[in-house]
Amino acid sequence: MSRPMPRASGYFRTDYRRDLGLVETRLEWTSLALFIVALLAFPFLASPFHLDLACQVFLAAIGSLSLMLLTGYAGQISLGHAGLLAAGAFTVGILFREVQAPFWLTLPAAALVGGLLGILFGLPSLRLRGLYLAVSTLALHFVVVYLGGEYETRRGFSTGITIDPPQIFGRALTSNRAWYFILLVFAAATLLICVNLLRSRTGRAWGAIRARETVAEALGIGVAGYKLLAFVISSAITAVAGALFAYYRGFVSVEAFSLFLSISYVAMTIIGGMGSLLGALLGAVFVTLFPYVIEAGLLALPGAQRYAGQLFAVNYSAFGLVMILFLVFEPLGLVGIWHRIQAYFLLWPFKHRPLSGSRK
Amino acid sequence: MQLIVNIVVLAAIYALISCGYVLVYRVSRVLNLAHGELMMLGAYLLLSTAGLFAGNPMAAIAVALLLSLTVGILVYVLLMRKMTGEMVLAAVLTTVALGILLRGLVVLVWSAQQQNPAQPLAFTNAAIELPGGGRISIFAGILVLVTAATYAVVFAFLRFGRWGVRMRAAGQNPLLAAQRGVNLHAIYALAWSLSTLTGSMAGMLIALDSGLDSTMVIIGLKAFPAALVGGLDSLLGALAGSLIVAAAEVLAIHYIDPLLSDVVPFLVLIAMLAVRPWGLFGTREELDRV
Amino acid sequence: MTEALLSIEKLEVVYQRAITAVQGITLSVRAGQIVALLGTNGAGKTTTLRAISGFLGIDDARVTQGTIMFRGERIENRPPNEITRRGIVLVPERDKVFPNLTVAENLVAPVARGVGAGERAGREALVYRFFPQLGDLKNRIAGLLSGGERQMLALGSAIVCQPELLLVDELSLGLAPVVVEDLLHRLLEIKSELGITILIVDQSAASALEIADYGYVMENGRIVLDGSAERLRGHQDIQEFYLGQTGDTRRSYRDVKQYRRSRRWYG
Repeated sequence: MSRPMPRASGYFRTDYRRDLGLVETRLEWTSLALFIVALLAFPFLASPFHLDLACQVFLAAIGSLSLMLLTGYAGQISLGHAGLLAAGAFTVGILFREVQAPFWLTLPAAALVGGLLGILFGLPSLRLRGLYLAVSTLALHFVVVYLGGEYETRRGFSTGITIDPPQIFGRALTSNRAWYFILLVFAAATLLICVNLLRSRTGRAWGAIRARETVAEALGIGVAGYKLLAFVISSAITAVAGALFAYYRGFVSVEAFSLFLSISYVAMTIIGGMGSLLGALLGAVFVTLFPYVIEAGLLALPGAQRYAGQLFAVNYSAFGLVMILFLVFEPLGLVGIWHRIQAYFLLWPFKHRPLSGSRK
Repeated sequence: MQLIVNIVVLAAIYALISCGYVLVYRVSRVLNLAHGELMMLGAYLLLSTAGLFAGNPMAAIAVALLLSLTVGILVYVLLMRKMTGEMVLAAVLTTVALGILLRGLVVLVWSAQQQNPAQPLAFTNAAIELPGGGRISIFAGILVLVTAATYAVVFAFLRFGRWGVRMRAAGQNPLLAAQRGVNLHAIYALAWSLSTLTGSMAGMLIALDSGLDSTMVIIGLKAFPAALVGGLDSLLGALAGSLIVAAAEVLAIHYIDPLLSDVVPFLVLIAMLAVRPWGLFGTREELDRV
Repeated sequence: MTEALLSIEKLEVVYQRAITAVQGITLSVRAGQIVALLGTNGAGKTTTLRAISGFLGIDDARVTQGTIMFRGERIENRPPNEITRRGIVLVPERDKVFPNLTVAENLVAPVARGVGAGERAGREALVYRFFPQLGDLKNRIAGLLSGGERQMLALGSAIVCQPELLLVDELSLGLAPVVVEDLLHRLLEIKSELGITILIVDQSAASALEIADYGYVMENGRIVLDGSAERLRGHQDIQEFYLGQTGDTRRSYRDVKQYRRSRRWYG
């Protein structure tokens, strides 16, 4: 994520501390403050249904951010995201069932398992690129899901593993509002981690690898190490997302981690806008809320009652259609649309920016 | 003996499906991940035409094949054409999205129940006794023959004449191919329609053999490791890969664990990717000369 | 007066609907000429050639204004294979061969307009005659060829398409001067034997002006000077900025000014 250039309105950064700051102008501070106030006030104003939606969005955002790190910034395509979510969820499930582990053990354990799996998922990236890498992550996803299914069958949890809500200071965590704040904290932390990671040497190395791998290697960037690092960090975060998902739902089952889930996350990065953390967030919001919007829209139509029974199929079709529309017409996603709008206003009345001549 | 029969039948299934993957990949470097869904669509089309031409099975099959050819051309003209010359990965994701769309549409139009086109067509799927003690159902046998015939025809088409080379050239560098006079849209449309046709044939035969429901897509998905193991742009590779993957799967189910059936193709895939990513007979891509 | 084979008028090319790469250029090429298009990096030369030979989707570029006329017909915004079929063939700057095909396959792949199999074979033989080295390399994978061999193969595969107008983009880029000389001579041979017209783009003005009859100089998407090759070679600004000649005396660093003398395209 590149820092925007200094503003033309006379705002300049005059020391290093300012240069490192994330929020600069007064306008940015005010907007951020308002946004935080809105986020904090939301659970007290919204219905439980909406609270649940918000929690789902936060969960999706964590997974989406980690996928964006891997695919949008490090340039390593991964279709196996659901497998990593499953790994995190199953770690929680297995540890809970076998040894009754509390959440402050299972979450780090999930992160660890995620990291280790990340190494496994990342090994092909040392030899493969592009389509072949995507295919290898897909294959690994199937293997992970198969292992999860094996565990379920062997241990007799044919319908899935139920998990008790985590105990904090002796009280079970069941309130929607409490979950909202906890997930908000996790999502915000993930965002902060991502932002800072991208501003660091690691982020720059990833950018170089994504742009031209051979040249990055020639410049002395340890490409293999950074690729694996991308996979490890991304997978660890994803596994934690999966673990949180398990606790939130109270239930782990291998059917939830289908190929469609992987594709949903990839869709989040595309619809949001590849190569942008804001895109990851926007994509997460869009894809999570999409089925509910479709359902609401369907119920609002006059003759739609007979389709209500096939809501699942309608969701599928609509989702596929929207994804196609974005891929064909706006490959830069929602962020791309936003930039186009910005450019229109900034360049007006000119239509295009000439290459270089007119700047003299 | 029965094991060998099973391997041959499964290999034929994978080979016929892989033919479609190879055709599209060779010409555009796109892995058509909607192939499984297109296959399923072909089978459902047969179901409909079987209902329409209840007394005339040949007409039903012919019309269904014609329809699937049209579907292939439409998929290219309406959708993939817009991705011509764009990044390959975007095109692959477009096929994934197309697959999702088709899956939803199929359930909406035809419902998710299991059905069998053999019923309206009044076909019976008897089992034939083979010398050596194995048994094979009629439709499985037909499938093997159709696969062999298809491969013979496509081989001949690609070998004699320059279009085999031109397809590979278009796959490697579409811009240069266009600049050397190759009509990209025509060659892509051809590849997509042939690919959908062979996929639909596979779908129809599988449906006639063992019924049709929306899980057929999984077979389509399991076939692409076969294509990859052999080399995504090589027809010969698709045959070899299908045999290897089918053998591995049947033997694993028989000797180790029946649950492995869905995973084995992907394990073979991982093994091949680790050793020789471009497959047994594929063109070695990504020469690292800067 | 011979009519122009190719005539471009007030051409404007826009990338990604946002960036104008070529801002209204006008040039013409007469049959049998060799015309050079000179300029520094980013002047818009390659874009002009690409505009003539056609864009594909991935370029996200479009001719938004102006016309390109070939033999009196407008050809802008047509797909590349149509343009090739009309007789304009481009030898690109990058990606000029099919890297995973052999040399022989590279010559099989192009589509020659309206020829039978016999004539086609004759065409390929012609290429091997112009570039004997390719004959020894028939089964070599094209991606593993050296720079000069690759350029020869690129020219050869362009010839197979039976061009009337050959567009050559950056012939000399990355090649040793000896190799460049050799290629230029062969280009002249090809031109005189096959009667092709050539539009050559090059950053190395010396190479291009060596064989050209006429030249245009582009900067920042505009044409700033044109004239016959002798006139260009003798022009002071061309000499200083493109040919690197600043008079006979040696200059010391003290005399080098911090700013460049601005180019006055007069005279």
